[in-house]
Amino acid sequence: MIARVQTLIARWYSIPLMLIFWQAAVGSGLVESRLLPSPAKVFAVLTTETANGALVHHAAATITRALAGFFLAALVGLPFAAAMARSALWRNLFEPIFFLGYPVPKIALFPVFTYVFGIGSPSKIVFTFLECLYPIVVTCYFGFRGIQTRLLWTAQNFGADRITILRRVFLPAALPSVFAGLRIALPVSLIVVVITEMIGDSVGLGFYITLWSTRFSFANVYAAIVVIGVCGLVLDRVLQLAQRKIVYWQEDEA
Amino acid sequence: MTRARVRILNWLIPVGTLFVWEVLGRAGMLPRYVTSPSAIIAALWELTESGELLLDLGVSLYRVSIGFAAGTVAGILLGLGAGLIPGVRHFFDPLVSFLFAIPKVAFLPIFLLLFGIGHASKIAIIAFSGFFPVFIAARQAVLSVNPILLWTARNMGAPPRTVFFRVVIPAAAPQLFAGMRIGLAQAFVVLFAAELIGSRAGLGTIISSGDDGGRFDLMFAGIVSFAAVGFVSDRLLMSIRKRALKGQLIGTDEQQVLQ
Repeated sequence: MIARVQTLIARWYSIPLMLIFWQAAVGSGLVESRLLPSPAKVFAVLTTETANGALVHHAAATITRALAGFFLAALVGLPFAAAMARSALWRNLFEPIFFLGYPVPKIALFPVFTYVFGIGSPSKIVFTFLECLYPIVVTCYFGFRGIQTRLLWTAQNFGADRITILRRVFLPAALPSVFAGLRIALPVSLIVVVITEMIGDSVGLGFYITLWSTRFSFANVYAAIVVIGVCGLVLDRVLQLAQRKIVYWQEDEA
Repeated sequence: MTRARVRILNWLIPVGTLFVWEVLGRAGMLPRYVTSPSAIIAALWELTESGELLLDLGVSLYRVSIGFAAGTVAGILLGLGAGLIPGVRHFFDPLVSFLFAIPKVAFLPIFLLLFGIGHASKIAIIAFSGFFPVFIAARQAVLSVNPILLWTARNMGAPPRTVFFRVVIPAAAPQLFAGMRIGLAQAFVVLFAAELIGSRAGLGTIISSGDDGGRFDLMFAGIVSFAAVGFVSDRLLMSIRKRALKGQLIGTDEQQVLQ
């Protein structure tokens, strides 16, 4: 028991230490408290803004957009990657677009999206879809291509039809890399939504940050940052949980 | 499939898109905010002639290179430290795992206020966002070095310094580059947001001023140059990587795809 408490302290002491250090720096007047509000103040704002529903409202908008874009990208990206892995025609048509387009900072295109889809949710969702599509397609494509052909041969030898092979061999073999792609794309979706909300919107955590920073109330900005961090952490944990349930045969690498 | 046919298929969509785009533009069938490729090239030329493009390009490149270099160096040093020394690891792990989940761009207003709207705030936030992927990659890389390699080196009497430079670093290098690549991509995302939200110079401002002034050809010229800079930077990093990892890439999937 004592040993467990000791390892717990040894593993996590740095967060409370930093908080104490921060509080002390602000309390002693070393740092201007308007620029860097103390953790206690940030926590107070966090609780009142959560209680009155403001942060919940904006967080809900941000998460809805991020997840909508993310799921659309998964829905389109997976069949796309599978088609590219299985058919030479698709591969040759789309490989340059995905491999050359991958390192291009697509965020620069966002102003065009706001003209086509307006400033509200649609442009954000479509843009998140585009940004998530790239990591999903590229990672899953490698996954689908990396399937050992002897698995497919074995299944064919046993007389399995195409549907069975797809369902029982092809998909399970590729699932680990599918999840790898999804885990890269999920934080991307959150980042992209927050940035685009900061550039221009009237709802969402990115907007909330811009709004309160122009009012010079940085306790609210930090509160929103904490909420974003918690959202990202929760989403990643949920995905990890799903991965452990679905790809139960894969060993943990954490 | 023959080589020629593969080549045609590879180019079909990019060239086809440009062609249709140009034809629609000539026919006046595009919305007001989309200019044709030839108009974008003309706008690029206009910006080059006035010297604006070169100036803003220089500003953006300066911010990215300094910020990315600072973030990478800090990430590698602390990441290697965290991988090698348990005390350092236990100090940074909770902090990093908490901060990593937050899009670093959310800190932008704070950085703008702390460092002003000049170079310093952009460099600082690019370094800040580039630090995390590199740190995590370096930490993970050191921890996953095959212990047999370390034992072998030690067994043959290599001093710790030699083990570090000749075994740990080369073994960790592929993952370091993977982290740097993510950091570089994030650097451009953060740079774009920073230049669009609070800046008076840089490629982002070409985009936003073209957007505000209704000069959509200039906006697209800015978008194209921004995209091109990001793309070329990534290619540069990848070619450095290929030199540095000479021999480690043989027979990997990537070698077949990229070549």
